[in-house]
Order: sequence, then C-alpha cells, then structure tokens
Amino acid sequence: MISFELSERQKQMKELAHWFAEHEIRPIAMEAERLKQVPGDWLDKVNKMGIHLNPSSFAGGREKSGGTKKENEANRMGVIAMEELAWGDAAVTLSLPGPGLGGPPIQTSGTEEQKERFLSIFTADEPRWGAYALTEPEAGSDASAIRTTARKTEGGYILNGQKIFITNGARASWVVVFATVDPGLGRMGQRAFVVEKGTKGFSAPKIVEKMGLRANETAELLFEDCFVPEENLLGGEALYERKAAKTAGFQVAMKTFDSTRPIVAAMAVGIARAAFEYTLDLVKREFPKQGKFYRLAAELLAEAEQDIAAARLLTWEAAWKADLGMENAKEAAMCKAFAGKMALAVCAKCLELLGPAGLQDHPVEKWYRDVKVFDIFEGTNEIQHLVIARRQYAPYRIRV
Amino acid sequence: MISFQPTEEQRAFAEMAKQVAVERIRPQAKAFEKAGQIPGSFIAELEELGFLAMELPAAWNGLELPLATQALIWKGLAYGDLAVAQSLPGAGDAASVLRFLPDLEKLRGVKEQFAAGKGKTIAFIDGGSGPEYPGSPLRLEKRGKGYLLDGRSAPARLAAFSDFLMVSAADASGEELLLFLEKGDSWEAEGGSGRLGLSTAGIASVVFREAEIGEGQILAKGREARELLEKARTRIRILEAAKETGLMEAALDYATAYTAGRKAFGQEIAKFQGVSFRIADMAIELKAAELLVLESAMKAEEDPARGQSLANRALSRAHRALRYITDSAVQLLGGHGYVQEYPAEKWMRDAQAQVMLYGRERELLLERGEHLIAGGKGVAVS
Repeated sequence: MISFELSERQKQMKELAHWFAEHEIRPIAMEAERLKQVPGDWLDKVNKMGIHLNPSSFAGGREKSGGTKKENEANRMGVIAMEELAWGDAAVTLSLPGPGLGGPPIQTSGTEEQKERFLSIFTADEPRWGAYALTEPEAGSDASAIRTTARKTEGGYILNGQKIFITNGARASWVVVFATVDPGLGRMGQRAFVVEKGTKGFSAPKIVEKMGLRANETAELLFEDCFVPEENLLGGEALYERKAAKTAGFQVAMKTFDSTRPIVAAMAVGIARAAFEYTLDLVKREFPKQGKFYRLAAELLAEAEQDIAAARLLTWEAAWKADLGMENAKEAAMCKAFAGKMALAVCAKCLELLGPAGLQDHPVEKWYRDVKVFDIFEGTNEIQHLVIARRQYAPYRIRV
Repeated sequence: MISFQPTEEQRAFAEMAKQVAVERIRPQAKAFEKAGQIPGSFIAELEELGFLAMELPAAWNGLELPLATQALIWKGLAYGDLAVAQSLPGAGDAASVLRFLPDLEKLRGVKEQFAAGKGKTIAFIDGGSGPEYPGSPLRLEKRGKGYLLDGRSAPARLAAFSDFLMVSAADASGEELLLFLEKGDSWEAEGGSGRLGLSTAGIASVVFREAEIGEGQILAKGREARELLEKARTRIRILEAAKETGLMEAALDYATAYTAGRKAFGQEIAKFQGVSFRIADMAIELKAAELLVLESAMKAEEDPARGQSLANRALSRAHRALRYITDSAVQLLGGHGYVQEYPAEKWMRDAQAQVMLYGRERELLLERGEHLIAGGKGVAVS
C-alpha cells in the first residue's frame, strides 16, 4: 500500500539522528570548517558513543519478528538518517568514523571472511575509517576507463596508479580500490581490492583544499608497485571466474552507485532543508508581514520547500526499490540529479533572501559552498542524465 | 512505513484506465476535437466503466473512491487524452463538494436523479477567489431573505452544457456562500469556443442577470461554506494535478519513441545529448510531480487540515511540469511537433488551457509560502 508515513523504527531513527545532528554536529560545524578538520577529541567521543557512518547497516537488514521476516528497510533507514545528519553538517557527517562509502561494496560483494575482517574493525577503542577509491585523474564516472593497473603475481596482485578526490582516503584503515588487470579488456578487466593502510607502496601524498566541505578530508592516493594479497580481492577469485560474472569488478562499482546515490541525494536534501529552515525562521522574525519583500519571501520559500519535498520523495522511492531488491538505477540517478541541483538552487534562493547580510554572520553561504559538490560526486548531474536517458531508451534498443 | 506499492485494487483500476486510454481514447481524441464534442455513445461507454462517478458519494450512486486511487485512475485516463478526460459529463468538480454533503435535504431531488442513474451535468463555478481576479467578479447582494446574483463568471469546465450550477461567491461583506442553481434560474453560458485547448470540455463563462437566490438554493454560508469549499478545493486540486501527470506521461512516452526512431546526421536523434538529456529532464519532472500528487492525495485524507496547502504544492508543481513536458515534446518533434498530424501540439495547447483553468501557478505558490511563513508545516515534518 502506498504510504508516506514513517514506521516506528524509521521515526526513531529520524529522531535519534536529528538529535545528534542538532546537539553534537551543529555546535562544532563552523569551528571544524575553520580548522579544516573535525576535532580529534570529538571524533573519539562519538566513536565511543558507537556513532558510525555506515550506509549499509542502518537497519541491520531484515529482522525476524515472531517467526516472520520483516521487510528490509535498510536503504530507507539510511536515507532518513543521512538527511538528518547532513542537516547538522555534511562535512562533519562525512568525517564520522566508520566504513563510509567503502561499506556497501564490501557488504554486497565481499566474502564472509572479508566482511568479518574489514567491517568488524569499527570498535569503540579508537575511531577508524573505510574509504572508496574509484575516481582517477582521467576517469571518474566512466568507471570502465580506469587506468590503475593490477598485475597478477604469486599470491596476489601488484597495483600501480593514482586515485583522486577520495573521501577520508588518507586516514582510512582500508580503501576499496578499483583497478584493471588489462585496460584493453574494459569492464571485463576490472577488479576491486581492499588495500589496507600501511601496505608497502600505498601512500596519500596530498590532501586537497576545496570550495566547501572543508572539514572533511579529501585525499589523493598513490599506488606504486603496491602488493595486495589475493585474500584482499573483493569477492575472491571465484567471483571473477564464474562466466556470468566476468564484469564483476565493474558491477561492484555500479551496484555501489545504486545504493550510494540515494544516500548522497538524501544529504543534499538535508543541506537544502537546513538552509530553508534557517531562512524561513529569519523571515518569520525579521521580514515585514506585507509588501514586496514579504511576497518575494513567500514565493521563494514555497518554491524551495516544494523542491525539497520532491527531492525527498524521489530519494525515498529509490531507497524503497533498493530495499525490495528491485532494479533502481534509474530512480537512484533521478534522485541524485534532482537533489544535487535543487539543493544548490535552494541555498541560492536563501542567499537571495538574506541579501548582503548573507555574506557574514549566517551559515547559509557555507551550506551553499558545501552543497555544490553534491551535484558532482557519485556521478555528475550529466552522468545521472545519461543513466536516466539510457533506461528511458532501453525499450527501443537505443544506446545513448 | 514508506512504500510506493499500490494495492492490487489500485493497480487493477489504473491498468484498466490506461488500457481504455490507449485503445479507445487516444485513437479518437483528434476527431473529437475536430467535431467539438464527444459522442454520447462514447460517453456511455466510459460511464458504464464507472469513470464518471469516481468522486461522487455512494448515496449519489457514486463509487466514493479514495483520492489516491482516483489519482492513479485519472492519470491513466488522461494518458489517452486530457481533453477527453476533462469533457466527461456528470458532477465534475462539484462531486468534491457533494462528497461532504451526501445527504443534504436541499439536494434530495438532484441526488435521486443521480441515484437512479439519470445523472446530468453540474458545473462548478468557483467565484470565491475574490475581487482580485481580473474580469467582472460575481456580485452577490442581500435581498430580503435571499440574494441577487449578477455578473459574468470566469470560464469554467462543463459550464457550456451543464444542467445545474454549483456556485461559490462572496457578498459585499466578504461572507462566502455556496449556491445551487438549476437551468432556468436566470443564467446562461457564454463562449465555449475553446480555441486554445480542451475544446470539448464545455469551458464557458456563466452570465447571471440578477438571478434571485432563495433560501432553498443556499447550500452553506459563512464559516460552514468556507470550510466546505476549502476541503472541496483541496480534492479538486489534487485530482486535477493527477490528470496532468497522465498527459505528462503521454508526452514523455511519445517524445521518447519519436526521438528513438527519427534520424538526423546519420543516427537516431536520441543519441544526441541535447535530445536525450531533455528526455531525462522530462522523466525527472514527471516523477517529481507524480510523487507530490500521490503524497498530497494520501495526506489530504489522513489530515484534511494539512491537505489544502499540500494540494497547492502538488498542483503548482504539476502545472510547471506539465507546461515544461508538453512544450518539450513539441520541441523534440521539431516541425512535426507544430503540425496537427502529430498529437504533441494538441497536448501543449490542452496543457496550457488546463493550467489557466485550475489556479495560477504563482498564486498557488504564494498561498503555500504564506502558509509556511504563518507557521504551517513544511518539509521538516514527514
């Protein structure tokens, strides 16, 4: 049955995430931006509280209740929680300890041994991170064009190449790295590895400075004759030997997008909502109750709110499909394309209402800078359009 | 729990509506427009399937379907042709008012006609939006125990061939009244040429020449009328937005098929990103509008107090998406989009007529914005 009401668990998740965002994340957000990092003692504290960034485990998957299987709602729980956390602050949220975007590929494609080995390290003793490294200087959304090589050798592979724009890449205990055994094979040659911190030949020579999300680490990674043992090949050799799974490495990357794009869209919704609510509150307190500024505010805020609501529904639908195991690449691309673009537009509308006063003393300009990248990472807006168009034309066998 | 899964019944209704749209409505829509009317036999066919009575209360021989179910069905029907969907006689938009007045004694005679399957057509003249409207607003003057109604209404759907009128109007003191008039009550329909679009929908102004309104014709007044009309307008706006999504889907599907087959510079034009990206934008806009409509349909019945503002939001978005998608379809068909051999130009005209008929997009936004600033619930609360 169609429903837009949150379940009890979803409500609890929303309330908990919102409480954390309001009372723990918001108070440190501006200082973290100034420091260009999230304070270590704060990370220690939240890690001890058991707060981790793990998009694939929000609901813990299906649960049994009274002998019957409950509907999987992990993806819906994930987008609900991430909207609230990003409402607090996106840069701090992305810096939370946990497997981050590296979690979903291990969860969906790793062997049981790999899941245990890599996902069980996130314990209360100290904050740890996972990371996901696909993008290269010459290959981003075109995952089939990656040039980092993986040469088979006795007992493992030797990796050579460079990855860029990797969230938490330098501090991560392990990174899911995509490489090719033969660039000439395209998708067929791709493999996904888990490279552990301290591995000889693996380094993070550069942390980049950005327009926004300044508190969050974005690293460049280098692999120089970096030996990775066979047991760190995601899914193991068996996954790639099966005839039907020749493009398994590429599929790992694509399937990851199907679950992470709604997460990214939800974060964009959260940032847009933060800007909208802040500006609405200011308009209520400080704007005249009639006249041209009142009408301007009413119209711009209504447009912003409508866009945010639409983006949230698109995101929920993509997550719902993922929970039910339905094909959701088109919906995931739709919510990401819509949310990324609308969130920047909402922040711009809020800045328009603030006028010159918005240049200082208000957080909206920070959210405006932060949110731009949500129309870029996990596939640019243009890539999302390509994904949508391909699905739209699929019945006509036209490859766009 | 958040879910986008329609019930089996909803799915079956929606599929049937779409089948009728594709097999019966679409092939004849152009001919109907040319003739300026829809044959009685065709109307009878749709009436037989229940499409004329979805919103009417059971006491009026209606199906009294929930909003979300109707939204899915209207979307399916309008996929065939919006103008045909808008031309179906019966209680029309007035059904949403009747939904809240199923047993009103003053309407017993009309109800009995509907209950006996002899339903005629009721046009809803919503003159309650006040004197800010351009054109001559309706004037309602107190006269003894009744009123005198004078003036020319804004064009309304079904007015050209209606047997009854349901009229909302405000008197000089601003008090709203809901009236019910029969044929012969000093009113006549004017216009109805429908040059722009929806030309079979009987769109016409109604001229009242000092029509005497007696106590028996006043269905509600004051606060009761205002609350009743607010609830009815909420339902009307949601249902109209739902119809718009059907036309959007038709235009998107048609443009997708056309651009997949049409070649230029040696390849299908779908392979040019200027084309395929616009198709993607159309798909996104359709989906966004569709979800806002469904959400408003569900919430308006769960929480009517919140429904009005959500209906404004959904209809405003649907208007914008409808204009964008139908214009895009014409654009993507190029010269073929502009000529009447193809349906896209009709759909664009129908779309523009529809958005003009059912609330200005900016006005709906403004109402929603005022609601938010006044402390109404926004996106923060799911």
